[in-house]
Amino acid sequence: MLAIVALPALAQQDTAAYQLRSVEVFGKPAEVYAAGSRVTTIDSAYRQTYNSSSLADALQARTPVYFKSYGVSGLSSVSFRGTNASQTVVLWNGLNIGLPTLGQSDFSTLPLSGFGDIAVQSGSAGAAYGSGAIGGAVLLSSPNYNGKGFGLELQQEAGSFGRYFSNGNINYSSGKLQLGLGAYLRNAENDFTYKDLSRFGKPKRTEEHAAQKQYGFTQNLNWQLAANTKIGLHGWYTFADRELQPAMGSASGAEQLDKNLRLMTQLEHESDWGKTDVKLAYFKDFLNYTNSSLNSVADVQTYQLQTEQTYTKGENWSLRGGVNLQHFIAENDGYAGTKQENRAAVFALFRYDPTETLDLSLNLRQAFVEDYNPAPTPALGFNWKFYQHEQHQLFLKGNVSGSYRVPTLNDRFWTGAGNPDLKPEQGWSEEAGLRHLFIVGNTLLLETEATAYHMLIDDWIQWAPNPTGLWRPVNLQKVRAMGIELSHQLTATIGNLKLTGSAGYTYTSSEQVEVYEGQGDKGNQLMYVPLHKGVLATGINYKNWQLHTDLNYTGERYTTNSETSHLDSFILVNVALSKQLQFRKSRLVVAFRSDNITNEVYLTMAYHAMPLRGYTLSLRFLIP
Amino acid sequence: MKRTLLRGFYTAALLLTSTFAFTSCDETEDVSPDINNSKVRGLYDQKGVFILNEGNFGTPNGSISFLSDSTGHQVKNNIFSTANEQRPLGDVVQSMVLHDTLAYIVANNSNKIEVVHAFTFKTIAVIEGLKQPRFFAALDGNKGYVTEWVAYGSTGRVSVIDLKTNAVLKTITVGEMPEQLLIVNGKLYVTNSGGNTISVINTTTDAVASTVPTADGPSELVQGKDQYIWVLSAGKVVYKDDWSGIDYTKTTPGSLSKLNTATSAIDATFTFPGNQSIPKNLTINGLGDKLYFNYENKTFMQPVTAGGLSNTVIINRGFYGMEADPETGNIFGSDNNNFSGDGTVFIYNSDGVKLKEFKAGIGPNGFVFN
Repeated sequence: MLAIVALPALAQQDTAAYQLRSVEVFGKPAEVYAAGSRVTTIDSAYRQTYNSSSLADALQARTPVYFKSYGVSGLSSVSFRGTNASQTVVLWNGLNIGLPTLGQSDFSTLPLSGFGDIAVQSGSAGAAYGSGAIGGAVLLSSPNYNGKGFGLELQQEAGSFGRYFSNGNINYSSGKLQLGLGAYLRNAENDFTYKDLSRFGKPKRTEEHAAQKQYGFTQNLNWQLAANTKIGLHGWYTFADRELQPAMGSASGAEQLDKNLRLMTQLEHESDWGKTDVKLAYFKDFLNYTNSSLNSVADVQTYQLQTEQTYTKGENWSLRGGVNLQHFIAENDGYAGTKQENRAAVFALFRYDPTETLDLSLNLRQAFVEDYNPAPTPALGFNWKFYQHEQHQLFLKGNVSGSYRVPTLNDRFWTGAGNPDLKPEQGWSEEAGLRHLFIVGNTLLLETEATAYHMLIDDWIQWAPNPTGLWRPVNLQKVRAMGIELSHQLTATIGNLKLTGSAGYTYTSSEQVEVYEGQGDKGNQLMYVPLHKGVLATGINYKNWQLHTDLNYTGERYTTNSETSHLDSFILVNVALSKQLQFRKSRLVVAFRSDNITNEVYLTMAYHAMPLRGYTLSLRFLIP
Repeated sequence: MKRTLLRGFYTAALLLTSTFAFTSCDETEDVSPDINNSKVRGLYDQKGVFILNEGNFGTPNGSISFLSDSTGHQVKNNIFSTANEQRPLGDVVQSMVLHDTLAYIVANNSNKIEVVHAFTFKTIAVIEGLKQPRFFAALDGNKGYVTEWVAYGSTGRVSVIDLKTNAVLKTITVGEMPEQLLIVNGKLYVTNSGGNTISVINTTTDAVASTVPTADGPSELVQGKDQYIWVLSAGKVVYKDDWSGIDYTKTTPGSLSKLNTATSAIDATFTFPGNQSIPKNLTINGLGDKLYFNYENKTFMQPVTAGGLSNTVIINRGFYGMEADPETGNIFGSDNNNFSGDGTVFIYNSDGVKLKEFKAGIGPNGFVFN
C-alpha cells in the first residue's frame, strides 16, 4: 500500500537496469485478476538505494508487513494482516517458492537485487496463488531488458559492522533475444555493539555470533522464436551461510546453511485461442542447521508445471484457465526415508469490465492434495470509478475471497507426527476501500487510499503435545484478523525538483476467537502482531542529487499470546543521499546512507539485539 | 540418533510454532509479608510456593512466580526480574533449590546457575561456563553439585561447585544425560537418563564410588522416610529402522524402583504395563507415605508400602510439571499452554479435589515450597 506506484508518466529516472513491466490492457499482470485488491510495488528508487538489503528489510521499511527477525543474521518471518509466517506466499514468476518442509519463506535469505518487479498483494489470494496466500502474497518477477544493446552495472558497497556488498549485472538485448546475468556477494561480520540486557548492569558487548556470507546468481534469457512465440529460461541461485545470532543470555553456536536453486523455463504462444503460457520449474532447497548437539539436514526437490490459457476479448473481458502440478521429493532427518508427494490445482480467473468505470474479477481454484483436499476457493472483486471531475477520481473497491493452506511436508511426514485427521486451514476475508486520485498533468499525482478488512482463519494448524506427550500438528484454533490500512502518496515535479512522498498507517487486530479445550488465550492479540504500524518515506530529486528518507514506526508487540509481556514500540529512520555523475552515456552513482540514524534501540524479536546507527558508502557504475 | 531426532523435532516444532517470547515486568499484586516481624528478611521470607516457568527455548524469558500461603494473595510473577532491574532470568529455567538463605536457579540453555538471596531474589552470583546444566544439589554451605548433559549423545558430567566462591572445583564424568540428583548420607546419587545406571559419588573424594544398574532411562529421584530412594525410569524409546515411527516391539516401558541406600542396590522394580506412555513427575508427600506420578495422562497415587504399581487415579489428567506440597499434601500441577502464552497452575488437595487454578509464566515446569 505504501510503495510509490511508478506510473508511466512519472516513471523513475533510473530505468536502465530495471523497469516495470509495460502496462497491459487491464493493468499490471498481478492486478488483472485482482480487482478490488491492494497490489503495490516496491519503487525502483528505494530498491536501487537499498539493493544490498534483504527482502525482509525492504518490506519492513516500506510496507505494512511486520517481520520478526532473530537478530541481524537469523530467520526473518513475516506477519501479514495479522497472520503467521506460513500464511504469506512468495511467488517467483508466478510459482510458489516457499520451503515445502516448513511451508514458509525466510525473507532474510531473499535478496532485493535481481528482480524486475516486486509486488505485494494484500489479503487473501488463494484463488489466484494457491495454498498459503491467506494474509497476502509477495510477487517476484524476473527483469525484462528493454531497448537494444548492452547494459552493465557494477556496484561495490562497504558499511559499518564489517558489511560488504558487491553486485554485478550484464545484459544484452537485440530485438529477438534478451539475456541477463547477475551476481552478488554479501559479507557481513555484524560485529555491532549492544547492551546486554541479560547481564548485570546491562554491559555493552560486541555481537560475536552473527556473521554471514550470502551470494547468488541470476540468469534470464528471453528469446522471441517467432512473432507469436517466446521462450524464457530463468535461473536463480542463492547461498547463505550464517551464524545464527543467539538471544541475549542464551547459548550460542547455532549455524545455518541454505542453498536454493530455482530453474524455470517458460513458453508463451499467442494464437486465435488466446495466449498459452507453459511454465516448467525445478527447485532444490537445501537447509542444514547445526548446533552443539544437532546436525539436521532438509533437502527438497520440487518439480512444478503450470499451464495457463488466457483468452482476452478486446478491452472487455479476459478469461484464464490453468492447471498447476507439483511434485515434491523430500529428504529430512525427521522423516522416515525419502518422501514424495503430488499436489494439483485447477483454476479459472475471469476479468470483466462491463463499463469503462467498473472492473470485476471472479476467480475459482480447486486444489487436490493426498489426504487433505481443501474446499474450492473463490474470490470476487470489484473496482468502480464512481466519480471523476476535473483532476479528481474516486474509486470504490472491494472483494470477498477464500484462501487455504494445506499441511506442509513436515506436518505430513515428521516421524510419529503425521496426522491423517488434519484439515487444511481455511480463510475467508472481506475488504472494502476507497481510493482517491488527484492528477495534474505530469506534475502532480496524489493518491489516497483507505481499506478495511476482516478475515477469519479456521483450523489454524499448530503443533502441540497430545495426551501421551507426542508433538503433532493439530487444527487448534480459529483466528480473526481485522484492520484498517491507510495510505497517501505524492509525486510532484516542479522544474528541476521532483518530490515523492508516501505515508501509510495500519491498524491490525488479530486474536484467537476459538481455542482448543480450555487452552490458548482467547480474545488476546496474537504475539508479534503490532496493533499499529506506520511508515513515511520522502524523496527529493534535484538535478543529479537525490535524498531519501524512510521512517518506520512499529507499535508495541506482545511476545506471548497472553498479552503479559511486550516489546516497546520503535521508530527507525534511514537516510540516503546520492549523486549521479554522467560520463557520456555511462553513469556513476555515489551513495551514502545511514541506517537507524537516530540510534534507536529496538527489537523485532525478544532479546535479539539489533544494530544501532550504521553507515554505508556505495559506488555504482552503469552503462549505458 | 534418537536424540538427534528428538532435538531436530524440537527445533522444527519451535520453528513451526515460533513460540518465542519475552517476559517483562507486568506487575501483579504485591506480596506483603508481616513487616512488623523483625525477623522478616525480604518479600519471600514467608510461606508459599515458587513456580518455575521455563520460558521458550532459545529466549531468556524463563521466570519465577511466587504464590504466598497467606490468604488474599494472588500469584506474583517475574519475581527475579523485578528484584534485578528487569534483567531476564534465563533460557529454560530447569530447576531451583533453596539452601539456607540462598536459592540456586539452573538456567539450562543459558548454561548458568543464578545464585540469589532466597528472601529477596536479588542475584548474589552467577555460576557460568556450565554445559546444559539440569539439576543442582547442595551438600552443605561449602559444596554443591550440578548435573550437566554437556551435549546430546555424549557423556554427561557432574560439576562440583565451591559454594563460597561459586567456582567450579572439579568435574566428574558420569553417564549420558544425567538428570536428577540426591544427596543421602554423604553419597550423591545421579540418574543417567540416557542409559540405565545411577552413579553413586562419594562426596568426600568427589569420585564415582559405584554405578548401580537400573531399568532404562532413570531420571527422577525422591527420598522416602526410610533408607529408600524412589527412582522413576522413563524407559527407552526405540525408533523403527526406517524411522517411520516408534518401534514398540523394542521400546521399553518405564518403571518405578526402590534403591536401598544402605546397600546401593535396587531392591524392587515395578514396571509400567505399557510402553506407549512415559511415566513422569514423581513426587512424594511430606509424610513420606504416598508417591504421586503421571502416566497415560493421569495422576496416580501410590502408597510407599505397595508391593506393585497402584491403580489409584486421583486426578484424571497429567501435568507438564507436578509436585506435592510437603506440608499440606496438596498437589500442584501445571499446563504449558503450548508455550505460546502463559501456562496454568492447578492446585488439588490430596484427595484430588481441585482447589484453585491460575495463570503463571511461560511453561511452568516445577514447584519449590518455601
